[in-house]
Amino acid sequence: MQRRDFIISLSLGALATLLPLDANETAPSDIKAKGGATRRFHVVYDFDLHNPEGKGPFPARLWNPMPYNAPWQNVRILHFDGNQDLWNLNDDNAYDVPILYAQWRKGNIPKKLRIEMEIETKERSVPLKLIEEASKRHLPVPPSVRRFLEPTEHIPTDGKIKAKAEELTHGIDDRFKKVKKIYDWVTEVTFRDPKVIGCGIGHAGKMMDSGYFGGKCTDISSLFVALLRAAGIPAREVFGIRLGKSHFSKALGKADKEGVADITTWQHCRAEYYIPGAGWIPSDPADITKLELVEDRKYDDPRVQELKRRYLHSWEMNWVGFNWGRDFVLSPKPEQYPINMLGYPYAEVEDEPLDYYLPETFKYHIVSREIR
Amino acid sequence: MKRILGIGLMLSLSLGAEKIAVIEIKGMSCPLCTVAVKRSLQKTPGVFKAKVKLNTRRATVRFQDDLNTSKLLEAIRAAGGYEGKILSVTPSAPQKH
Repeated sequence: MQRRDFIISLSLGALATLLPLDANETAPSDIKAKGGATRRFHVVYDFDLHNPEGKGPFPARLWNPMPYNAPWQNVRILHFDGNQDLWNLNDDNAYDVPILYAQWRKGNIPKKLRIEMEIETKERSVPLKLIEEASKRHLPVPPSVRRFLEPTEHIPTDGKIKAKAEELTHGIDDRFKKVKKIYDWVTEVTFRDPKVIGCGIGHAGKMMDSGYFGGKCTDISSLFVALLRAAGIPAREVFGIRLGKSHFSKALGKADKEGVADITTWQHCRAEYYIPGAGWIPSDPADITKLELVEDRKYDDPRVQELKRRYLHSWEMNWVGFNWGRDFVLSPKPEQYPINMLGYPYAEVEDEPLDYYLPETFKYHIVSREIR
Repeated sequence: MKRILGIGLMLSLSLGAEKIAVIEIKGMSCPLCTVAVKRSLQKTPGVFKAKVKLNTRRATVRFQDDLNTSKLLEAIRAAGGYEGKILSVTPSAPQKH
């Protein structure tokens, strides 16, 4: 049977039902994105999946992470076309991670898919005063958030993680003061190790056990999250991708004169912590270390300290978040599971995962253009 | 009858005896780890096929029976510092490779 290429375009209303993960649901009191400029990006993913074993007919399956909806980020238009045999948009997994799934039968035809999105973002910052006042009230952690106190395989809350969290927060009752102690320590001891592949595995326990604090964004965010959870503060990594130019530093995102950027390898992991009464608070300890490395600055450099102050409670939104899933099983169930994180596209040919850290062999390509 | 037995003997000699090892692997933390382990095992002379599963943290390896299983553990270590432990080794009927 001859396949038909197909095209799906979705309006904002349809997207609300198909990309259902809404950060507000898990953060009812979270402050709305406010004040800062709105930015819009036209983002195009191109997939042309290849068989790593070489020639011959092959089947393929693809799970691509999609942005969640929140006051600070919104997919306004979604359009995709390709020659897949099956597809769906689902959040059928333990973290409600929104995924675009596509599947191709065994065959020689190229496995192609293009996803186009228009994404609107707004600067996200929670005022320090609001956080401090909420923290003083010592409100209980809502049941829907308690899961973000639990350990996962890569985010242990016992052993050396527990011991360090207790050492750092000894004698402190106030949740936000605990966060600041842990944030100070993580941003000071960690450093960006450019030899780490991709965003890193994010094995906080291994990092603490080894005493080697070099890593990339998933490693550093995971350490931050593990220490916070061990100290009784709900926290999670947020996986996503940079979309374009940073107004703070080229180290944190850049684009050409037309606002175009090849973002194929710009996946970036951030973090959030939860203060009852204030909601989820954005943070990004890993970008402090990136600024230090790329701009060749020391930790006590005023510019580094300025970013550190900002990223305790805000995100620059030249980035879009996908999810906060760790160590979970995708749907439909892949051959290999659980997946330790889904910041990159994930695909399997036969029973073998394609290397998502090698987009040139996978193959995928992602381009973003800021709409001005 | 003698002729049939002779053919059978020749076939088993030419194909060689095979074994299947089930190996527990520690240290695999993501789907890509399974690829690294599988590739390393399949590069090992005497290994015909390897299947590695992340959820069970196990590899199932079909190999020539004169291959020392320590070579399988070396291949697993070479893939990225993973630690293998042989859980079982059983004879297998020769297959077409």
